[in-house]
Amino acid sequence: MIWPFQRMIGMPRVAAIEHPFGRPYGDVGDITTQREVLLAALAVFGKAREPGYLEHLPFEWHEDPDQTKWHPAEPSPIIALITKRK
Amino acid sequence: MRQVDPWRFTGGFLSKILSARIPDEPSHPEIPWTEVGKPVAESKVALLSTAGLSMRDDAPFDMEMEREKPTQGDPSWRRLRADATSATIEANHLHIDTGYIERDLNVALPVDRLRELAAEGAIGAVADSHYSIMGYQGNDSSTLENQSAPEIAAAMRSEEVDLALLAPV
Repeated sequence: MIWPFQRMIGMPRVAAIEHPFGRPYGDVGDITTQREVLLAALAVFGKAREPGYLEHLPFEWHEDPDQTKWHPAEPSPIIALITKRK
Repeated sequence: MRQVDPWRFTGGFLSKILSARIPDEPSHPEIPWTEVGKPVAESKVALLSTAGLSMRDDAPFDMEMEREKPTQGDPSWRRLRADATSATIEANHLHIDTGYIERDLNVALPVDRLRELAAEGAIGAVADSHYSIMGYQGNDSSTLENQSAPEIAAAMRSEEVDLALLAPV
């Protein structure tokens, strides 16, 4: 999650997490992580006292970035356009 | 506690593009705020995803428009039934691998986990509907901001939702 973006647009409460794109709550079939992330995000409602509250959740993804696949099979149209213009 | 590294999974190319567009301070002069009215254990909770999710019996998000006009994204929204599963949902998003969602909806919309929390009493109830938008809006998010978002909020109010959890993908 790119939490500086959520901060930029003014989200009232943010639970930042270091998970890859497409799987914010956890990996396929990882019921434990999905549950813990959901509970941690819900807990923010009870902690935040003022607009712009930002909490960094302690979860660590189980794969290194170079082993983590999240990209679509084809580059998105805007990425393809930017790459073409370079 | 350590900070979440927002660029850990983006790769250098994407982090360079995006970080240059994100200032250090919020651009909105005033952050919206609504006090939490009741404990989470008594609250009706709805989920909102930016994964471009739609029920298979509903119209999917328009990916052809984005393919034709790469600086634009579908600004509409979809209502998702609370009993949705990977089998009844379609994911249309050109910026992520949607295959994970197709295998387990809970990675982006944890409907099963939310139902379990309701059964345990950790939340008050699961909302009748969850919601999705398509996260990529290109150069213009005005329709999403001024039309879709108020419509989603109104739908949540009509179903007496207390807490909404938005998970960007």
